[in-house]
This record gives sequence, structure tokens and C-alpha cells, in this order.
Amino acid sequence: GPGILTRTLLNAGVRVVALESNSAFLPNLQSLENSLDGQLKVIYCDFFRLDPLVTGTVKPPAMCSDKLFETIGVAAVPWRADVPVKVFGILPQRKERNTLWRLLFALYECSSIYRYGRIELNIFISEKEYKVLTAKPGDARAYQALSVLWQVGCEIQLLHKEPWSSFVTNLKNGGLAVPKSTWLPNDHLCLVRLTPQQNLFTGGLKPTNSSTFIFLVKQCLAKPKSRLADKLNSWSLDSSGKLLTELEIPKSAATRNLYPEDYRRLFEALQNSSVFTETWFHDEVLESIRNIN
Amino acid sequence: LFRYLHQLKSAGFHVDELFQKCLFEEDEKEKVLSAIRIVQPNYQLPPPANPQTCKSSLLQDFYSKEKAVSYPKLDFTVQELQERFQQQLEMELGSTVTIESVESAKPLTPQAIKARKLLATLRSQWHSSLLQALQKSKHNMSSLKEVSGYDILYPYLCLLPDEEYVGIMMQILGALSPQGESLVVLARELGSKVYNRYITQRKLRSHQLEKVQEVYEGYIHLLAKDSQPDNYLPREYWEKLVTEAGFGPSLNLKGCNWPYMLVMRLGMHMLELLVQAVKVPRNILNPRLEPRLIPVLYHIYSFRSSWQVGLIKPHPIFSQLVSDAAETLLTFSSSAIPMLCPPVPWTSPNFGAYLLNDTRLMRFVDGVTQHQLLLDQCPLVNLHPVLDALNQLGNCAWKINQPVLDIIISIFNDKGNEKLDIPPPISEAPRPPSAPGNSSTWNKSLKHELLLCKKKTAEMHSLRMDALYKLSIANYVRDKVFWFPHNMDFRGRTYPCPPYFNHLGNDVTRAILLFAEGRPLGPKGLDWLKIHLINLTGLKKKEALQERLEYANEIMEEILDSADHPLTGRKWWMNTDEPWQALACCMEIAKASRSPDPAAYISHFPVHQDGSCNGLQHYAALGRDLIGAVSVNLMPCGVPQDVYSAVAQQVEEFRRKDAEQGVKVAQVLQGFVSRKVVKQTVMTVVYGVTRYGGRLQIEKRLREIDDFPEEYLWEASHYLVKQVFNGIKEMFSATRDIQNWLTESAKLIAQSGRTVEWVTPLGLPIVQPYYRSRSTVLNCGMQHLSVKNSSNSQKPDTVKQKNAFPPNFIHSLDSTHMMLTALHCLRQGLTFVSVHDCYWTHALTVDTMNQICRQQFVALHGEKILQDLSEFMLEKYCSPGRETRAPWQKKLMEQLSDVPKTGEFNLKKVMDSTYFFS
Repeated sequence: GPGILTRTLLNAGVRVVALESNSAFLPNLQSLENSLDGQLKVIYCDFFRLDPLVTGTVKPPAMCSDKLFETIGVAAVPWRADVPVKVFGILPQRKERNTLWRLLFALYECSSIYRYGRIELNIFISEKEYKVLTAKPGDARAYQALSVLWQVGCEIQLLHKEPWSSFVTNLKNGGLAVPKSTWLPNDHLCLVRLTPQQNLFTGGLKPTNSSTFIFLVKQCLAKPKSRLADKLNSWSLDSSGKLLTELEIPKSAATRNLYPEDYRRLFEALQNSSVFTETWFHDEVLESIRNIN
Repeated sequence: LFRYLHQLKSAGFHVDELFQKCLFEEDEKEKVLSAIRIVQPNYQLPPPANPQTCKSSLLQDFYSKEKAVSYPKLDFTVQELQERFQQQLEMELGSTVTIESVESAKPLTPQAIKARKLLATLRSQWHSSLLQALQKSKHNMSSLKEVSGYDILYPYLCLLPDEEYVGIMMQILGALSPQGESLVVLARELGSKVYNRYITQRKLRSHQLEKVQEVYEGYIHLLAKDSQPDNYLPREYWEKLVTEAGFGPSLNLKGCNWPYMLVMRLGMHMLELLVQAVKVPRNILNPRLEPRLIPVLYHIYSFRSSWQVGLIKPHPIFSQLVSDAAETLLTFSSSAIPMLCPPVPWTSPNFGAYLLNDTRLMRFVDGVTQHQLLLDQCPLVNLHPVLDALNQLGNCAWKINQPVLDIIISIFNDKGNEKLDIPPPISEAPRPPSAPGNSSTWNKSLKHELLLCKKKTAEMHSLRMDALYKLSIANYVRDKVFWFPHNMDFRGRTYPCPPYFNHLGNDVTRAILLFAEGRPLGPKGLDWLKIHLINLTGLKKKEALQERLEYANEIMEEILDSADHPLTGRKWWMNTDEPWQALACCMEIAKASRSPDPAAYISHFPVHQDGSCNGLQHYAALGRDLIGAVSVNLMPCGVPQDVYSAVAQQVEEFRRKDAEQGVKVAQVLQGFVSRKVVKQTVMTVVYGVTRYGGRLQIEKRLREIDDFPEEYLWEASHYLVKQVFNGIKEMFSATRDIQNWLTESAKLIAQSGRTVEWVTPLGLPIVQPYYRSRSTVLNCGMQHLSVKNSSNSQKPDTVKQKNAFPPNFIHSLDSTHMMLTALHCLRQGLTFVSVHDCYWTHALTVDTMNQICRQQFVALHGEKILQDLSEFMLEKYCSPGRETRAPWQKKLMEQLSDVPKTGEFNLKKVMDSTYFFS
């Protein structure tokens, strides 16, 4: 945009790379870039169109992450190392949920921006999505697969809440461009910090098998009132609830009663047991990847 | 009784109406009669109503008794038809038919024998566990004290013997593809199978079947060759017999449509039983695993962008067993097999076609009931032409072209042939790359490749099964004569009822169908066969008929070679547009030309005549567009005109002018404007393609041209679609006006909250079934199911009502033209069937059919079609006499009254146009 955030960051004394997706704003930003001594770098790029799924040549403002990181001169660091880059931004409201899912897959696969380490996101998202990301078991409607997966994947901090009325919107009818929400409160934009967990890949979870984890969580929470034991039985993953007893999960637990950590433990236990070798399950996971991508 | 009769009278009814309008089952009618006679001892049944005759001006000749010709006889005796009726009845009573698939010719491997044994054992186990589960669930429901939402199902689980429910579930299990199926589809199938069985039961119990049987016995005298000729149409004769037998309306069952919601609930319940009860030992294929029972079916969600779809998939162990067993028996519902006797003639929207299977006159999308209501309200006499046309199409007897079928089966059982549209077996599917070790270590590209392989295999499987069904059914009836009962969609377009194997199918299925009735070729028949062959090849499209004939004579050697050595010779037939029909035609020509007197050769071969861009033909005739009429062959011409080339020329003209004016994109397009680029867009303009869709089509064509500069794709396609629309406007000026008038009228009607309705010139009432869908969530144990809700209070979907009206209106006209042609062909004793705008008859009668087809087109468009439509809609939507008229109503009235002007074209010219249908 006009560079207000950029100027604030520059005043704080940090090195800034500004990604601008609208060419109309570029000249102004570029003149700012030229007036500074290398503290600012302006790139014509849309952060939310990094690594597009379509095949063929990538045209700006879409971009490949390796090209972006090469341009800004940041090299990949090991997962457990410190945060190499911090990102500030506002999630486009229209495809907020899509973007959250795409980032999530990249996170679990260590692909795209997460190939370079634990990138920290500081992003404005709508209050309703914030509620989903931080929901706990028992929060009816808010607790979803997205909650489990983000909570396992990242530390989530709320930095600031700003009422929608503080924002000028350009909707044709003059109204606020606030997404409708029936069940969850949605009166603010929330600035949220998402820092990938350092120990994400220390247990049985690996970037190579994480798609199975995502698949498992999504299937379980597709109908949150169903009993976990029934689900596992119907997939012939568990017999006689032995697994659940070992994990100290009550046999009558509904899938929405499990904490994110429980899902992680469940997955790791399944990973170790023989039943997970059932090939059809992997075929399904493979299929689900195709549907997502 | 006295009081009841008094009440009846005081409410304005006459006792007679009881017997004229009510539906009776079993002996209800006799009981009612004797009850009335207690009060009125001298009461006599009302005399049967005089049959009414349709007054449509288009069919005056057709229905006038003076000119009536006796109904064409079939080549069967009464006795033979009676036997066929019995066969058909037995088949329908059994509800399913199990037939040998064409793959049974393959030798059996020891592995297959073993797998079959295993499967048989498992199936009997599944059968008993399903029975147990069903009984248990019924017991639980019946013992529920309070009225909970769920036990509304209980009565519906008691309609049939338990064994039948289990049979239906086993049938669904047997037909499940390895890729699985969505819950909604399976639930609907299960539910409607129960419904169909129940209807059959009711027909048996209410003695309706016996009545049908009695009437049918009389009915076949109209069709059999050894009985008295009668001046009746099938429908008239059937009605006469029904009246004479005193059945009256009792032959129709009382309406008992189950709500869609109920069908789905019932289906879901049965599906849940299946998923819970059917299990297989995990170690059945691999003894090293621990022996544990695992479910055969599992439930999984597939996530699409914003919603999730529940799927039921078979466990790979089960799929493996099924594929190992290579079973060669296929089970179909009896309505999937062509009928073995002439169909019951349609006499009302609810009665006709099969003997027992429930069939509707008009197909509808699930949950939409508006057409059925409209048909029920329509005076029956107005439907007579449509019913008679459907009966005529359904009464065409068919047989199998055995030599062609045998060749196709031999290729099918060998390795298939994608080029000839014979799907190869799964064993020919691409092998997935060998993947090392654990699947979690595979990299992205390997996963991608595996996925592609899986996708290809799944596609091949469904194509293969489709062909297997078609060929197996064809093989099952290979020595029989059979019939395709017909019904129609809401616009009156007709379709054969059996879903897999019928004459609407692809080249392969069409090539194995012959008319059961043979006719001599006559003096011109052989020539027509030759022209038909050249038409099938797709060659010589721009040449006159005479030249096509000469070309056929030139390549006679190739034709005979193809006929004599189809697989070992020079294989000329394989490189044609419709290879299998071409091969069949080659064989027919060979036989005919080698017979001592070709003119006397008895041919069963159907010869086709196609309308050239039929939608535009109707538009051009409606608007009397002179240039347009010439380009779609309404005007006599020495050679066939090609509307696509004409539009391409017009567009090129515009482009040249623009290029001279210095328009950049017009200059870039130099040399790229061709028939191919514009064809699809011109073709779909009639069916309402928008600029947006048209641009995408053209962009796709331009992309196919290698040396077209990519950076201009968007601009060029944008420019071209504009010019194509302009070109069409120039050539079909009135057409565009009519299209706009129809669209605008539909828009205003839909905006006023009504659905668009009209009546075809044949009297068929039509309503566009597009509503804003409201869905209801069905709360079932396994999954919540969102089901589209339909009720009469639904609001119309404005956008669909508007956009679909012009194409639907044109389709209602083309179906009217087809029906008129069918009926008049019947009066001339021709065999006639149609695939929408492609008409089939014997080689002998092509000329007569062509003449009738043109006469009826002229007659149809001689009616004041648009004027009538305008009057009908004004009456319907702008009810007169109201003092206060809202502004929108005034606007609608102005719009509907403003019928577009028409051009100068003299419609009579069509009579002499050779290439109108050719």
C-alpha cells in the first residue's frame, strides 16, 4: 500500500523487504527505497501468491519462494534454529480460509517459505478465524481441524485487536467489507503471531508423513460429534480400543473432545503400530493431497 | 349410506363421477356399486365417455378417421406375442435379471476358481449378518415407546419380506466400483429400489397386473400379423379395451410417490446396516496377518474447496477378491434390459412403457415435482399427440447385428482398442513406477506419478464397465427381437428408457442395432446405403449427394474389402468418423450388391438423415431470416451450405476492414480466422452461450494453433467472439431479436416470482424446473446429509430461468418437429425412430421420410408460434381486468406484446431443399 507499515518498521530500525502486489503503489515505494541506504528493498510480488500450484511460467506478482529468498539474500536454516525471517501482513479476506490451509500444508511439508526455517507470521486475520485457530475442545463450532493443526504446528499469540470500524473499506454499497459470521464473534481484525513449534518434527511426525496426520485429523473432525473409537474401528485401525486405553483416551470420547496434543499422540501411536501399514489408508492420503492441491 | 349420498349431492357431485374419476383397487368398484344399489336399487353404471379427439390444427389429417390407415403389423402372430409378453412379465416379476457377461468366453484360471469359492462363502455370511442386523434394527425401532423422529422408517422396513431388503443391499454391494461412490448416490439407489419393489408388490396385490394382462392380450391383436386390421392407434385401442372390460380408471394406481426425503432416509438406514454388518477376515488373502474381522466398506470424506462429500469405498481386500474371481455374471434391474414384447402404450402421464416397473412419462430431476403436477392437470386429450408419438417410437422392433457384435466382442475380450472406442481391460493400464520401501519416503514427483496412474486406471475401469454392460446386454438379446420403451424430458425431447444399451448410444452401440422389420431396398435403396456410408465417414461433407454416391462407387473395392476382411484386410473402415457404423454399412452394401436383385434385397439397416445445425434451422424459420435460411440449408441449393464457413467468412470480412483501419488485434489475426475457430461458438449460440463462454471456446481453438502469438490470446479471442456475435447478428438478424425477446421476457417473468411456462404447438405443457434450491440437513448416524428440498413455495432461480429459456424453447420446437414427423410417418406406414435431430428409417423409405420431415417443418413454422407464445404468456402472467397495475406488470405486458418482426424468407422453399436434413 502507501507504505505506512513500511515506514513504521523502518523507524524501528529493522531491515525491511516490502512485497507490493499492486504496481500502482510501486513508484512511491521505490523512491523511498532509493532515498535510504539499503535498509529497504521493494519487490513486485504478492506474498499470498507465492509458489502457485499451476504449472507453467510464473508471472509477477506471483513468484516462486526460492527466487524471493535468493533476491532478499536469506539462506535456509535448520528447523530448530531461530526464526530467520519475520513476516507482517494482512490476509486478504476473500480467501482467508484458503490461505490459512495453504500455509498449513506448507508448514507441515516444510515447503515454500518454510523450507527456509521457522518463518514467523505476524498477520491480521478476522476475529472469527482467530477464534477457530485458538479454539479448545468443547468450543462448539469453533473447534475444527484447522484449530488442531495450527495449534500443533505453531505457537499462537494475539498481539492486538482492532475494531473493524477503524478500517476504511471500499465496498461499492459503502458498507464495511466484513465477512459475515453467524456463530462466532467477528467485530475485530486480530494481529496474530504464528511461530512454528521448534519441536514439531521431533517425535514421530515428519515432513514426509505429515500429510497422513493432516488427513487423519480432517477425517476425524468432519463430523465432530462422532466417537473416535467408532471412527478408528470403521477404518480397522484399532481393535477393542486397546490403543485408546494405552493413550488414556476414554472409549466414549467424541472426536471434538480430544486436545490437539491428543491427536498428535494418537498419530504417533498409530505410526508405531502395525495397523497403519494398511495400504488403502495411504492411497486415501495420496488422493486427499490431490484434492487439496 | 343415505347420508353419504346426500352429502355427495349437496357438495355438487353426481354419483356417476365416482365411477368416472375415482381410482379403484381390487374389487373396490364392485363393492361401491353394490353399496349404492342398496339405496338406489336401479342405479346403472354411467356409459363410458366418448373418446375425445385432439383438435390441433397440425394433426387434423392424422386424427381424421376417414383417412385412417390400419396400424402397421409386426411380423409376429398373436401366439408369439403372447409368449413374449409372458417372458417379459417373468423378467419384471423377478425385479432383477442376471446375465452372462461377454467376458465369460475367456478361460477360467485356478486362481479365479479359488476366489469365486471364497466369495460365495463370504456372501452367504454377509447375507445372514445383514439379515440379522436388519431384524435387530427393526426390533429396536418397534420397541421404541415414544415417537422419536427416526422410527418413521419402521413401516417402510415392513413393506417387503426381510429377504428382499437384504437382496437389495447385496445387489448394491456387488455393483460398487473399487473407487467407491458417494453416500447420496448409494442411499438414493437403495431407497428407490425399495420403492420400486413396493410398487410392484402393490400392483400384484391390487390385482392391477391381472387387469393389465387381460387388456394386453386383447391389445396384441392390433399389432399381430394374423389378426383383424383395426383403424386404431395403440393408445386408442388400449383405451377401448379398458373401457370394454369395465376397468375404467382402475388400471391406474393411486398416486403414491414417496417424498424424496423419505427415499433418502430409508436408503441411508440400509447403507448404515451395510457398513456395520458386512465384514471380512483381514487375513483372507494373506494368512500371515492376525485373523481379525474388518469392515468391507468404509466411510471417508473427500474435501472440496468449501464443502465435504461423504464416500463409501470398498476395502482393497474385497476389490482384490472381486477382481481375482473375475465373475462373469452381471445383475441388472429388469428395467435396464430392453423389453421383450411391445411396450404398454402410454395412455396417461402415469401409465405406460413397462408392464410392472414404474416409469414416468416425463423424466425429472430429483425432488422436482412441478412437471408431474402440470401434466396431471392438463386435459388428457391435449397430451394425445405426445403420447401417440412416444408409442410410435417405442413400438419400433429391434434386433442385433450379430456379425458386427461378434467382431466387437472379440476385440473387447482381447486387448480393446482405444482408437476404435473399445475400452481396453484394466490389465492394459499403465504400470505404476516401482516404489521403493515405505510410502512415507516417496518424494513429490513419485507421488504425483502414482496418482496419475491411479487416475488413469479409474477412468479405464469405468469406461470398461460401461462397455461391458452395453455389450453384455446386447449379447443377451442377440437372438431376440426387442423394444425400447420411450419417455421424454421436460421439453419433450424423447429418450429410450433402458439406460445402458439403446440407439442413443455411441458409435459402437449404434452399429450393433438393426430394425427387426426388413424391407426391400427398392430402386433407390442401395444408393441411399452408399450415401449413408459416405455420410458416416465424414468425408465429402461439402459435396452434393450425387458426388457422394459417385465417390462410394469409386471406392467400392475398399468397401467390399472392409466388409469381407474387417480385421485382416486393408481396414478402410477404421479411418472414418464413425468406424463401427461404417463397417456395418459396408457389410450391408456388400450383401445387397451381391444379391441377384439388389432392389429386392430385404434390408434391416437403418439409414440416418441429420438436420444441419438444427437449432439455427428453427431460429431461421421462426425469424424468416433470408441469409440465415440459406446458410442452414432451408433454401434449395446445389451443394450443402455450411453455416460455420459462412460465419467465418463474415468474420473475416469484419477483420479485414478493421485491419485496414489499423486495429492491431485484427492485423495480428490475419490468416487465423477459420471455420474451425468459430465452429463451436456458432453451434452453441443457439443454446445460449454467452460472450464469456464463447471467448473461452475461441481462446482454446487459438491456443491449438502453434504459431499464434500467446500474448494476444486474450485480446484476440475477445475480439473474435465479438465479431462472431456480430456476424450471426448480420446473417440471422431476426434470430438475434427473437433470442433477446425470449431472454428478456423470461427475465421479467422470473423477476415477478413465477416460473416460465409455455405450451408446445402439439399441446404439451412445459415448465422450467429451475428453483432456488433450499437444502435440508438429514441427520443420519453415519453422516449428516444435505438434501435439496422441493416444495411448491420454492422461488424460481431467476438467472437459470432467463438463460435457459431460449434453448429450452428451441428444444421444445425441435421435439415437436420430430413428433410430427414420427406421427405422419406412422400414417404412411414407415418405420421411424430418432436421436433428437437425426431421423432413422429403412433405405426404401428415406425419400418418403424426407418429404414428411420437410412438410412437417413447413407446417410447424406455418403456425403463428411466437404470436401464440405471446398470447399464452400475456394470459398467464398479466391477468387482465385488474385495475391497479404495478409498474413491473406493465413492463412485462409491454415486453410480451412486443413480438419481434420477421424477415422475408419464403418458408415453402424448405420443401425442395435437399440438404435440409441429409
